[in-house]
Amino acid sequence: MKKTVSILAMLSTIILGAEVIVKGSDTMLNLTQRLAEAYSNVQPDVTVSISGGGSGVGINAIINREVDIANASRRIKSKEISAARANGVDPTEIVIALDGLSVIVNNKNPIKQLTVQQIGAIYRGEITNWNQVGGPNKKIVLYGRQPNSGTFVFFREEVVKGEYSSAMRQMNGNAQIVEGVKADEGGIGYVGLGYIKNVEGIKPLAVAKKVGENYISPTDEARVRSGDYPLTRPLYQYTNGRPKGIVREFILFELSPAGQKIVEEEGFVPVTQNYIERNNSILQE
Amino acid sequence: MRTKIILTALAICALTGFALEPGETELEHNGWYRYTNQSSALKLTDPTVSRFSLERGYLRFSHQWVPAFFTKMTVDIFSSDKYPEGATVRLKEAYADLSLPFVRDFNFTAGLQKHYFGLIYSWDYTHPEKELADEQGICASADYGLTVNGYLPSGLGELQLGIYNGEGYKYAGKYVNTSPEFLGNIRLTPFAGVALGFSVFTNSADAAHYKNDKKGRITEAGNIFYMNADTANTSRLALAPSLKLAFGPFSILGEYLGYSYTRKFSYYQINHDTSGNIVDSTLVQKQKDYQMTGLDLVPMITLAGRKIEVFGRFSMWNRREQSGDSMSLNKDKSFVRYGAGANYHFVRREKGKPGLIFQFAWTRTQPKNSELKPTDVLLAQVRFEWSTVITKLSL
Repeated sequence: MKKTVSILAMLSTIILGAEVIVKGSDTMLNLTQRLAEAYSNVQPDVTVSISGGGSGVGINAIINREVDIANASRRIKSKEISAARANGVDPTEIVIALDGLSVIVNNKNPIKQLTVQQIGAIYRGEITNWNQVGGPNKKIVLYGRQPNSGTFVFFREEVVKGEYSSAMRQMNGNAQIVEGVKADEGGIGYVGLGYIKNVEGIKPLAVAKKVGENYISPTDEARVRSGDYPLTRPLYQYTNGRPKGIVREFILFELSPAGQKIVEEEGFVPVTQNYIERNNSILQE
Repeated sequence: MRTKIILTALAICALTGFALEPGETELEHNGWYRYTNQSSALKLTDPTVSRFSLERGYLRFSHQWVPAFFTKMTVDIFSSDKYPEGATVRLKEAYADLSLPFVRDFNFTAGLQKHYFGLIYSWDYTHPEKELADEQGICASADYGLTVNGYLPSGLGELQLGIYNGEGYKYAGKYVNTSPEFLGNIRLTPFAGVALGFSVFTNSADAAHYKNDKKGRITEAGNIFYMNADTANTSRLALAPSLKLAFGPFSILGEYLGYSYTRKFSYYQINHDTSGNIVDSTLVQKQKDYQMTGLDLVPMITLAGRKIEVFGRFSMWNRREQSGDSMSLNKDKSFVRYGAGANYHFVRREKGKPGLIFQFAWTRTQPKNSELKPTDVLLAQVRFEWSTVITKLSL
């Protein structure tokens, strides 16, 4: 019976062509695009459609059965799980990579490190000049994401711990934040690790949980992987129930050595053993 | 042998459909343009009601002041046969919402707000007519009150506890009595495809309707005037277990309703002589028990990528009234209703909300008194709803 279903699924893929629709996190957009491109070499009959819009957009799309996979750089909320279940959707979580959310400044800024508390105070608008944290007498210009972004939510919960300053410039995506900070000597921004790789004109700051603790750079992959870097976060994909068919095949590819190599090439960190085990328990047939 | 990878960064739509951020304001409009044809036994060309109406004309303003404080106001500009201008304005919502400290995902809400009873607050008008408890006047869909409401951890569901006026949003000021209504509502979503709910409210008295309409009314029989004094529905108790099942394109939404109250009424019996001079008067006080039960079911299937919804409806309403020492069924006011309809979604908004829909529905209501004719209602409705977020400017 199982064999018959698999054969039928294979035949329908060959005859009709098949599509995996992915939507959500802007942080994960370039990464999943690369993964989809690579997957097309393995499974040329499968179309992978990817769009951004933010983690919230992706999660809403999976709740409303509009997509096969929702990309999210934050965890699904209790309210969203409840709405999904009431709609007959079982949001199932896979972690495909780790991110060291990076706080960036302009290359000309002499500041090299900050604590989480200092960054929070900067984004709440309590610290407004770089000389308040040991830098030059220059006004701080805040760059951040828009509210639909999982990164916006993660950064608010883990760092800002309050209200963002009304002076923060809300940018459409990570790339726009990088461009903004690159062009602004007083600028500070936060972006996914994948967006600082090989980019000139900006630099990531080393971050300590609090005064007296070690400052760790997000480029220190081992420390991001171990969770020592204070802004380490998993990057999620959500499906409706355990992934099946071509959706499962695509996710398995993302988690394969070839897929995880792309994760590294894109500047993110491959999943660790604990996530591998959790993913396996979900993906086993 | 082709692979297509589509990359669309949807930055433009990024601002829609999410909880507001501090300083942001959301403006929403709902316009429901309806044609109603009501007749006995489908006499379409000779209906008792044939009218066009703006059934709903919501204008909703929401503002997020700071992360923990939010306010909303909704006015409804709708058609009305009661006024010569043909339209009226009604305040539908006006509340402030404060996030509770130390209790994640829970809020305290004060003002004219949703009345979390049964299916009322989750009724999305897939079927264009009102939910049964709302239609039968068990309670209104909104009321003045104070609630604590929020989401249980791990997607387990939601909970609301509230104190309301109990009279609903149509009555305010002098028509509102002093006895509060207490309400509890829980919705559990233990796993995908199942939502179990239970609501209960109790209120010691609800007098608004009768004070408004009947107090002071005088009737005459022989040498006696009867003048209505106070009337109140007391000891009100309502409960509503509900269920939603959703599997793939199929879903069924249902609730059972139980409602009881004691109507206390009084009138002055005024005896007069043949010249109309009052001889004496007596205040007469009486009471009568009422018990209602109801059932409302809406099965639905979605088709064509959620463009089309085809639904059915089955409702049942039994009204029992005290007659001596027993309760007897009022067959004139008890009924069975069934019907069907379809919706076509031209556009959906974010979160799958309706954008532009055409709705069509038919229902037949058969009173339990078989001597009474059934009533058929045909509805056709164009419904459009949009919202936009006015974001604070980045300088």
